Amino acid sequence: MSTMQGSDVFDVVVIGSGPGGYVAAIKAGQLGLKTALVERDTRFGGTCLLRGCIPTKALLESAEIIDHAREAHEFGIKIEGTPSVDLTGVHKRKDKVVAQNAGGVAFLLKKNKVQTFAGHGRIAGPGAVTVTGADGAVKHLTTRNVILATGSAPRILPHLPVDGVRVLTSDELLELREMPRHLLVLGAGAVGVEFASVYASFGCKVTVVELMDRLVPVEDDEVSAEFEKIFRRRGIEVLTSTKLAAVQVSADGVTARLEREGKEPFSLTASHLLVAVGRRPVTEDCGLDTTNIVADRGFIAVDGFQRTTQAGVYAIGDIVAGKPQLAHAASNEAIVAVEHLAGLDPPPILWDQCPGCTYSQPEIGSVGLTEREARRRGYKVKTGKFPFSAIGKAKIMNNTAGFVKFVVDEACHDQILGVHIIGPRATDLIAEAGPLLRNEFTLEELARTIHAHPTLSEAVVEAAHATLGHAIHL
Amino acid sequence: MASDIIMPQMGESVAEGTIVRWLKQVGDTVERDEPIFEITTDKVDAEIPAPVSGVILSISVVAGQTVEVGTVVGRMGAAGEATGQSVAAVAVAVAQPTPGASSAVVTPAAPLALSKPRSEMTAAELRQTRSTPVVRKIAEEHGISLRDVSGTGSDARVTKKDIEAFIASGQHSAVAAPPPVAVTASAAAKAPAGRVDLGVPVGVPRVAVTAGAADRVEGMTPMRRTISDRMIQSKHYSAHVHTCFEVDYGRVDALRRKYKDQYAERGTKLTFTAFLARATVDALRAFPIVNSSHDGESVTFRGDINLGIAVALDWGLLVPVVKQADEKSLLGLSKSINDLGDRARKKKLVPDDLAGLTFCITNPGIFGCQWGTPIIPQPTVAILGVGTIEKRVKVITHPDGSDSIGIKLCGYLTLGFDHRVIDGAVADQFMGHVKKSLESFDESGM
Repeated sequence: MSTMQGSDVFDVVVIGSGPGGYVAAIKAGQLGLKTALVERDTRFGGTCLLRGCIPTKALLESAEIIDHAREAHEFGIKIEGTPSVDLTGVHKRKDKVVAQNAGGVAFLLKKNKVQTFAGHGRIAGPGAVTVTGADGAVKHLTTRNVILATGSAPRILPHLPVDGVRVLTSDELLELREMPRHLLVLGAGAVGVEFASVYASFGCKVTVVELMDRLVPVEDDEVSAEFEKIFRRRGIEVLTSTKLAAVQVSADGVTARLEREGKEPFSLTASHLLVAVGRRPVTEDCGLDTTNIVADRGFIAVDGFQRTTQAGVYAIGDIVAGKPQLAHAASNEAIVAVEHLAGLDPPPILWDQCPGCTYSQPEIGSVGLTEREARRRGYKVKTGKFPFSAIGKAKIMNNTAGFVKFVVDEACHDQILGVHIIGPRATDLIAEAGPLLRNEFTLEELARTIHAHPTLSEAVVEAAHATLGHAIHL
Repeated sequence: MASDIIMPQMGESVAEGTIVRWLKQVGDTVERDEPIFEITTDKVDAEIPAPVSGVILSISVVAGQTVEVGTVVGRMGAAGEATGQSVAAVAVAVAQPTPGASSAVVTPAAPLALSKPRSEMTAAELRQTRSTPVVRKIAEEHGISLRDVSGTGSDARVTKKDIEAFIASGQHSAVAAPPPVAVTASAAAKAPAGRVDLGVPVGVPRVAVTAGAADRVEGMTPMRRTISDRMIQSKHYSAHVHTCFEVDYGRVDALRRKYKDQYAERGTKLTFTAFLARATVDALRAFPIVNSSHDGESVTFRGDINLGIAVALDWGLLVPVVKQADEKSLLGLSKSINDLGDRARKKKLVPDDLAGLTFCITNPGIFGCQWGTPIIPQPTVAILGVGTIEKRVKVITHPDGSDSIGIKLCGYLTLGFDHRVIDGAVADQFMGHVKKSLESFDESGM
């Protein structure tokens, strides 16, 4: 990282270089603002790049490869011997992908003339930011604006002490170099089910414990039900409406005491426990005490332009109260914040149209309102589904579980309110739905849009037909 | 060879016709006999077919204008054929009074951009036509030209929110092509049962106003525009008749003085309005037709009495509604009326406070008005106007038959009613009921 050139006042200092912070810095650079980026990690990219999206998806790709290898004979491909997981090789590839991406971010920052500072950034009063280096040396920056993009860390529960050996968060599991015998996953959100999926593919016994009555609880009810069906078929043990009351850690594993409403408590022994119960904002040491910002359990409230209550201070990403903790959410917030502080008038983010993706096997991609939410908001809801089992390309891929579901407003020309996809390439297929919502499409325009054959995207257009009441291939 | 499109003769005694809307625009290709515009006359309404096959070259009389039979309203010919006259020149021409035409010279009801071919539109005008699929469907459903709706989406695209706000603001009625009243009524008949929809409100040609150097031109606020549209719409839609009664407020005044401290202790100011509300509600219960709605086809008797109290504001007028007023005591009415008036003045009303009106009371008397002739708020069928309450010299007949001159506290009440559904006799019986309730106000209800 470079040192400060001159002692001019910055237009903006960004603290944190995750998908919120680095995008903010690049955007600010592109707009010609004098920009600084402060990062305490040795590499840029934040959770997404170093401990989240990218490495986990690298693991999932390895998991998919071994799944393919196992079923290769069904495709007429003969593999000598039994395919097996080389954990060292898996991590090596993951690390390589991460390194490539982190290098890409460093290049983009340099290209856009962002000055970078290594160390812990803190707001130190109006217009002031300090950067404390690893050696304790403190640099003082003067700036017109600050963007807080300090991100999040796995949430830890007091009764489940994370030791990094037997009780892990995603941070530790990502670096675990031994194959768990039996992985117990607490929490069936995206993080929990993705690791469950990876290790199930790797051949481990996996048990998922969820307090709510269904897996992936933010998704549409029918998607959750289909997801659980497929997980069970894969041999993953699913315990919903179950509370992990206590855990005992021994040298070779953990024994969890589980409670279910109206049933006797029972114990379950596993080699490792993954605690995946959400992420907490990292804002306790970024100088909020020198501002009028009052964080709520660490989360910072912002307006539609990402402004905090403190003039000249913006917040983006996982630290923002009431918004999804997703990389693409942070990146979009970054652009809004920078455009606003640059004096532009960015349109507000339409949060109802923020897609969510889960990259497990099966994949989930969804955007817009779930059926339940649409009903709650008083829409005259109509839904329709089309299964991948009736799609030629899915049969070719030997991956036919899941469906595409539409939620539309029957009272307003079948305007598309939500699209929910579970099944092969759902996380890529959902991309088609974003512009449909953004541009207020109705089913009719989609149904009359030609989709190529044979592709998985035929499931999308067929689901539109199904919602209109006349699917062709069903 | 271009040919003229003329305003046709639609009956022997018909001298002029108004263009309701053009169904085709400049540049559109049409077949012979395909309808190209709609007209309304004092006798009939009709779609006028194309005299020949070809392309519409120009439109010289735009929607909303009234012209003599035989007037050239546009020209048709082969594609690319010169019109001989630019659209702009025609537009200037129609702004001049035409001899023999209706004496009121009207400006076009729709912006001239409507008749411009796309190639002649400015970038800004083109941007205004950007919209989304659902918006285009809503526009079609409501007969809205998207050029009238300002867009807030990307590149000024009209979004669903924009068009919904446009419809809600009532601007829709101001720019929609003017259909004849008969069409409005039949459109209302198609509305779902239990809901009276006035459909496209009656369009009224605008009067051209020329502003001089000393004049000041001010745009309309959304509230002013809504009031403007609704008042003119109601005047055209309902058959307004007014009847006026004088009321002796002596008893109400005595009761008000007697109980006002008690009411103050219970947290509200006891006003004449509360007594008037009580008496009105009782009369509405006795004459349900006055608490109804009419769509030209059927009468909807309202199950609840939702009493609107007009509140004059510095910036306009609002009619907050006391819901289910028939279930409220005098105290309850008093509190509701004062609360709504208060919140109206403080801009604290929520949309629901203004919804569901079944009958309205307006009180211009507070400004000294003797008696007014209020306009009925649609879709109700009557409105009570309250005149000033003052001491008047009256002839008093004593029990022994002798007369003397005395002083009475009096005021006039006016009922504006829709004669399509309420006959004079019913209106006067209703007013008699109100008068009697006030003059012999039941003290047990205090």
